[in-house]
Amino acid sequence: MTRSRRPVAGSRSRWRGSPEVRLRVGLIVLAMVMSVFGVRLVQLQGLDPKAYAAKANAEGLVSVPLSATRGSILDRNGAPLAESVSGLMIVADPKRTNAHAEDIARILATRLHLDYFDVLGRLREDPNKPGARFAYVARRVPATTARSAVAAIEKAGFKGVDTRLDPVRDYPGGDVAANLIGYMKADGQADTGGGLERSFDAMLAGKDGRETYEVGGGNRIPLGENTEVKPVNGKNLTLTIDRDVQWYAQRVLRTAVQGAKAESGAAIALDSRTGDILALADYPTFDANQPGQSPEDDLGSRALSNVYEPGSVEKVLTMGGLLDAGKVTPRTKVRVPKALPVADRVIHDYFPHDTIRLTLAGVIAKSSNIGTVLAARQYAPGQLWKYLDLFGLGHRTDIGLPGETRGLLPDPSTWTQLTQATASFGQGVSVNALQMATAVNAIANGGELITPSLIQGRAVTSTGNVVGTDTASRRRVISQQAAEKVSRMMEMVTTEGAGTAPGAGIAGYRVAGKTGTAQQVGGTCKCYDGSLAVSFAGFAPADNPRFTVYVVIQKPQGSASGGGTAGPVFRKILAYLLQKYAVPPTNTPPARLPVEW
Amino acid sequence: MSSLVSQARARAPRLAETAVEKARLTLVPTRRTAAPRAPFAVLVFAILGAGVVGLLMFNTHMQQASFYATRLQARADDLTAKQQKLDMELERLRAPQRLAEAGKQLGMVAPGVPAFVKLGDGTIVGTPTPASPEDAVRINPLPAELPPPLRPDPIIVRVPAPVTAQTATQATPVQGTTTQGTTQAPPVQGTKAHGTTRHGTRAGAGR
Repeated sequence: MTRSRRPVAGSRSRWRGSPEVRLRVGLIVLAMVMSVFGVRLVQLQGLDPKAYAAKANAEGLVSVPLSATRGSILDRNGAPLAESVSGLMIVADPKRTNAHAEDIARILATRLHLDYFDVLGRLREDPNKPGARFAYVARRVPATTARSAVAAIEKAGFKGVDTRLDPVRDYPGGDVAANLIGYMKADGQADTGGGLERSFDAMLAGKDGRETYEVGGGNRIPLGENTEVKPVNGKNLTLTIDRDVQWYAQRVLRTAVQGAKAESGAAIALDSRTGDILALADYPTFDANQPGQSPEDDLGSRALSNVYEPGSVEKVLTMGGLLDAGKVTPRTKVRVPKALPVADRVIHDYFPHDTIRLTLAGVIAKSSNIGTVLAARQYAPGQLWKYLDLFGLGHRTDIGLPGETRGLLPDPSTWTQLTQATASFGQGVSVNALQMATAVNAIANGGELITPSLIQGRAVTSTGNVVGTDTASRRRVISQQAAEKVSRMMEMVTTEGAGTAPGAGIAGYRVAGKTGTAQQVGGTCKCYDGSLAVSFAGFAPADNPRFTVYVVIQKPQGSASGGGTAGPVFRKILAYLLQKYAVPPTNTPPARLPVEW
Repeated sequence: MSSLVSQARARAPRLAETAVEKARLTLVPTRRTAAPRAPFAVLVFAILGAGVVGLLMFNTHMQQASFYATRLQARADDLTAKQQKLDMELERLRAPQRLAEAGKQLGMVAPGVPAFVKLGDGTIVGTPTPASPEDAVRINPLPAELPPPLRPDPIIVRVPAPVTAQTATQATPVQGTTTQGTTQAPPVQGTKAHGTTRHGTRAGAGR
């Protein structure tokens, strides 16, 4: 064998040449190859790296946004007021659907409960937009419905209809708490339209993620490139609202506002002990699922944005201050004349009378302006202002809703004798409905004011405010004894034969209340134009308050009064609350204060 | 080597000659003992083949799993969507508005005065009061108002009070002509009366 190989080996080595030659040749070849690689490397990385990277990405690389689920808005019992569900939009390519538009429209119209002719128009080629290859057929369709409809179209042999992601924001209650929650605009995913949806957008929205992967034939390539940024879902927002109470308050309020042919109305129910807002109803309001169908003015909460003069309800604050300062007692005797000249004006009572003799309890029960002005003369200069300021008039409640008005409590340096007189019975000062409810609740809560809360726990608004029940603060406004006395005086209002609103009382319960009928300043003439704001505030049970309810109805037409128009709304909401939260009557003897002497 | 043999032959007796002859070393042809290459090659190719096939199968399996995962993901998405849809439906059914409407159909109203029964001893707390129609709250919105062209001014007909039975019968045809074709024939009176009351309420609402 060795013998036979040798001659071959010999010829090969001769052909290869000497090792030195071979090494040199190899080195040259290697250098040439390496320099080619080097040039290519410079070309790829140095000259235009991005174009090449993009080219590589385009080849079978799919990038999908992973949309974060928007947090729900829940009521105090966890019932959803707003929730997000995965939805799809159905889109069509009119160029492909034109030929079979009738058949496709029939399938879509029956399955999605759409208008047949509307759908037909979208599937047909629009002569105004020739060559358009994209048309929305339906937006925010629940995913199952959309997929089954498109599958049915494909099964029937038609093409050109497809689905795309389109998250649905669903408001199961429709108009329930819509004034608080706000709405989402249909065309933008992150575009919110007011209310809590806007002020807590950062918290609710979360953060979208993105996933990039290689696909082949519609399926992901297992060992292919794959990067994923996980979406961060939005957080839920829990409110102090009770959905059932909110619904009932809205319906009662609507019935009353429509019955009185009033311009608007608001009703607020507070938990007297914690300041939780159980219901904050507005009318007119809107359907959160279809905000576009309501006028823009109705899309917010008038209870917070509308500023008005509170009228006689404010008398309880005046009396609370007087009692706290020790200037009067509920039995203090007041001789009320027919009319009372103050500065250049004359103050009247809403009911005509000759000189009558009322106790202070009677002044509240009968809602006498003159009696209140006379009593308020006991105040030291600036003292009434101090009490009203402590009651929160002129300060925002800051519950986390946008567009709240501050109200107006004139500066004490500008107070005249007339300001003092009118302010004592609630004219010349302006409030929003929640401020007034909070102030009355301070009396219900034994003289301690609790800042109202709409959010359970704590949450940060988009503007950086921290709000919620955890941040609710308390401050003493009047002494507990004074608050109890005011409460007993307010009980006389709902007492048959003594007060202005016996119809607001609930049989078996001790109900404290106060009517209000205030003249309002017109928008154009900046004077009292004859329009009214009728209101009713109160709480029950009077000796151990659990709920405070405040109702105001703006600009009713015809004969309207706090007791007759707002009183029944107050009574119904309060009765519903007492029943729902199973608050039994306290079974204590009702207040019996003399109203006259 | 031959000298050694010759010396031994010289010394050894003739007898050992055959043995010596036997012990003589001779050249044997060299045996080529190269190991068979075939098994090794087969082994290498087998390993290679197994590797390729294994890798192929692994890849195929991965692909298959990927298809399966895609299918399962689609199904999971579908089921999630279905669950959300059912949740939505449930929430709609639970909505206070729907419950109230269902209650209203049964003739229920929210009670005006709360009262409770203590289940422990059966005592009644509060003042049990039957609910009255006044406690009812309108739960549905009023029908949308018609635009002015579809809302003509109501026709108000002042009917003089009949004095006697005779004048009343005489007055009837006059009334019929004034109310634009309203006849007082008994069979249609019901529907016409309805029409007039509707006009009446509209007139009231307009004021």
